[in-house]
Formats: sequence, structure tokens, C-alpha cells
Amino acid sequence: MEILFFIFLSSGLFLGWSLGANDAANIFGTAVGSKMLKFKTAATIASIFIIIGAVYSGAGASKTLESLGSVNALAGAFMVALSAAISVYWMVRSGISVSTSQAIVGAIVGWNIYSNRPTDIETLNIIASSWVICPILSAVIAFFSYFIVRKLLRHSHIHLLREDCYVRSGLIIIAAFGAYALGANNIANVMGVFVASSPFHDINFHGLTLSSTQILFLIGSISICVGVFTYSQKTIHTIGNNLMYMTPAIAWIVVFSQSVVLFLFASSSLQTFLISHNLPSLPLVPVSSSQAVIGAIMGVGIAKGGRNISWGIIGRIIIGWITTPIIAAGICFISLFFLENVFNQTVYLP
Amino acid sequence: MFNIKISLFANTKKLENKIDSFHDKVIDAAMTFNKAIRIFLAEHRSDEFKKINKQIKQIEHDADMLRRSIESNLYSNNLIPDLRADVLELVENIDKVINRFDEVSYKFYIERPEIPEIYHNRIIELVNQVTECAENMSIASRSFFRDFSLVRDYSQKVYFLEHESDISFGHLKEAIFDSDIPLANKLQLSNLIEEIADVADLAEDCVDELLIFTIKRDI
Repeated sequence: MEILFFIFLSSGLFLGWSLGANDAANIFGTAVGSKMLKFKTAATIASIFIIIGAVYSGAGASKTLESLGSVNALAGAFMVALSAAISVYWMVRSGISVSTSQAIVGAIVGWNIYSNRPTDIETLNIIASSWVICPILSAVIAFFSYFIVRKLLRHSHIHLLREDCYVRSGLIIIAAFGAYALGANNIANVMGVFVASSPFHDINFHGLTLSSTQILFLIGSISICVGVFTYSQKTIHTIGNNLMYMTPAIAWIVVFSQSVVLFLFASSSLQTFLISHNLPSLPLVPVSSSQAVIGAIMGVGIAKGGRNISWGIIGRIIIGWITTPIIAAGICFISLFFLENVFNQTVYLP
Repeated sequence: MFNIKISLFANTKKLENKIDSFHDKVIDAAMTFNKAIRIFLAEHRSDEFKKINKQIKQIEHDADMLRRSIESNLYSNNLIPDLRADVLELVENIDKVINRFDEVSYKFYIERPEIPEIYHNRIIELVNQVTECAENMSIASRSFFRDFSLVRDYSQKVYFLEHESDISFGHLKEAIFDSDIPLANKLQLSNLIEEIADVADLAEDCVDELLIFTIKRDI
């Protein structure tokens, strides 16, 4: 059972690896690209905080995915994660800004359709609207942060070298926060579908209790870290060279805005706090860090007077919102059929 | 493992002081040069002039040491990676101004030009404009590091003074060639005042680049 579980888990681990390779670059790519941080330093900080975020705060977004469709058979979960991974790979090759979250949601819906289960439309609506809110919210935060940071830098009269030290320290802190938020928000994409079929039991280690879900998230977050160390450096170079020129202070604003958005969509304690104080809260949903970054860059672009706004990129995001889940659902549906009828695997329990 | 050094802030403070001292050297060089030319006009090649000429050389030497130290510190501590090349170019450009003060002063010492008294006031006026121009360049550059909103104001002063020095230089050169002094003297004097006026041109070039660096420095 255990070996079979790990074989089926491989698709989730692959998804985790690709998330680490691509999305972690959004957190510290600009800092490393502008030579403010060394890759090893950034990758180590990111890895530690991705694991903490995933294990400590990953449950909230995962529950939302579960309420969309609780994939109850291991082989089914394997195929849901694999379909998402294939769609992500396919869309990235097509140059469309793609989100693992959109792919996994599409794949879960595909599983729901295949197993004749109703898809909770309300949850689906919440998830889909969060994808639209995510880049917009990130742009709004970046827009206002730009003016605050600019005012601070212009009026503080700090020496250029000291400012460099502060920005460098700020980038380290924000990379840690961003990694925590990424782990908390995106672990649901990687491991969420395996939660219902997890074979692990709660363990207690010197007073530290890890639930079976947390053990699963720990394994998933380690696969993200492997992606960070093995492949994100290549992604960073692509971002550093191709996306746009950013001063370290703007890099900080972009990562800050993206991290805040991911955190807002991931932290259940923050959600509880906001609700208890009658403040508007956001649903706990896995969102795309890439789209949050693009939103933040747009926000800074608008704040700088409308420069750096590429309508082509916005168009590609919208195409991604629509096509990624549909493609993932289609792949998942077809693959589940083959897995069940050709390989005689149980892909759902009645 | 982490390249986060506690001493980073301490190193930064030291480097800040070096950059400040480097800017002080421009003002020192400009004021000493101004004094040197006045002494030369009054006393020709006196011991006092010899002494002040040595002073300028020492300032130039100290500025060179500071420049090398700033350059190596910026690289060894991996500071301001995005603006490092700009700062290095800025420091090099400022150093050229200090070097020119030293060169012109030494030329006066070596060539011992005969300068008719009627030109003294005009030369002093040119030297005043040129040294003030260099001082404002230094303040503009210093502002780039601390309060870059002031760079534009001081740059404007540099442009104004450079233009004024150009006019003074033109009038002086005209007057020299209209005079009855031997052609060799005319050429020697013309060459010397051209070198003095060149200091303002160097300051203007430095400020031109500084304004571009300032746009890059803003977020």
C-alpha cells in the first residue's frame, strides 16, 4: 500500500517540482537577477519558509479544493495531478501565463464529471472569481506601495549605500514572507487531491504533532524545494533578462504585493480575524503567483504613468483563465477513462 | 553559508565616509587652485606658489587613493549592484576634474608664463567661475548619494557657470590676440587659459552623466 501510494503520489511530486522551478522564481527572481541576493542564499531561505508555510498554513486553501471535489481514490488523485501537470507544461510551452491552481481546479472538475459527482458551483464561482481578484488586488497593492516607498526614499535622505543595505535586508525578509505565503497557498495544488486518500497517521515528535495532512504537505513542500534548487535558477535568468528592468526597490514592491495577496488567500487565522472584526475577507483559495507578479508589475507601471503595460500579457492571462481549466478537465476526463478501463485501476469510490 | 554579514552596515558607513572625503577633495582642489593662481599672478614663481603647488599635488594623490579604495570596496562588498557602474563612472569623472587642477597648476609652475597685469582681473574672474563650477559639480554629485532631488538644482548652476566661463574665456583670448605681446606669449597664454576653461567643460560633462544616473536612481 505504502509503495503504491508513493508511486501514485509521483504525479503530485512532479507538480510540486514544477511549481518550485517556476513559481519560486517569482519570489526571489528579481532579487537574484539584479544580483542583490545570491541564488543559494535566496533558495535556502525560500525552501525553509515554503516548508513552514505549507505545513503550518496549507490546510485552508486545501479545504476549498476538497469542497470542490474530494478525490477519494488514489489512482484518481494521481491522474488529477498528472492532468494538471500536463496542462501546465502544455500551456507554458504555448507561452500562456498559466497557473497550477487553474489546472488543478479544471482537473478536479474533470474528475467530478467522470465520477458523476456534482460540482459545487458556489465553490467554483468563488475560486474562479479569486483568479480575477488576485492580479487586480496585487496591482492595487503595488500601485499604493509604489507611492509610499517612493515618498520614503525621496524624503528620508538616506545615503545610497545605506539604502542599498535596507533594500537588501527588505528583499531577504520579503523573500521569506513570500515563500511562506507560496507554501501556504500553493501546497493545495500539489497535495490537495491526495488528502482524502492519505495513508499517513498523526505523529508526535517531542510535543510537535503533525497530522496526516501535514505529513503529506511536508512531502509536497520538499518536492517544491527540490524544484527550487534544481531548476529555478534557469527560470530566474529568463525573468531577469526578458521580463523588464526593475530597480531593487521596485523588485521589493512587486514581491511584497504578490506575497501579501498569496497570504490573504491562504491564511485562515487572518480570515478568522477579519471576519471577527466585520471586515471583508477573501476566500482561502490557491491562486497563481505568476499572475500576482504580473498584476504587481502592472500596478507599478500604472503608478509610473502608464508605462510598462502590455495589453498582450493581460490578454494571455485571460486566455489562461479560460483555457487552462478546460484543457485540464478534458485531459483528466480522457485519462481517467483509460486508467479505469485499460489499466483496471479504481479512480473513484462510490 | 549566508552572505549576510553583520559587518555590512559598518563597511557601508566606512565607504560613505570615503565618498564624502572624495567630494571634499574636489572642493579642496578648487579652492587651493584658486589661491595658487592668485599667488602666481601676485608673486610669480615664489616659494609660496611652490608650496601651494605641492598642496594641490597632495590633494590629487589623496583623491586617487580614495577613488581606488571606493572602487575596490564597491566590488569586494558587492554593493549597489544596479548602480555600481554609474557610481564608478561618476567617481572617475570627478577625478578628472581634480587631475586637471593639478595639471594646470603644474603647468604654471613649469612654464612660468609672463602675464601682463591688464589680464590679471580677467584671469581671476575666469578662475573664480571655473572653481565655483567644480564646487557645484561636487555638491551635485554628493546630493546624488543623499538627496537626489537637489542634483538638478546644482547641475543648473554648473551649466550656468560653464557658459559664463566660456564667455570669459572667449573675451580673454580675443584680448590676448589683439594685444602687442609676442606671438609666442600669446600662444602660451591662450593655451593656459584654455586649460583653465577646460575644467568647467569637464564639470559640465560630469553633470550631464550625473543627471542620467539620477533618473536611473529614482524608483
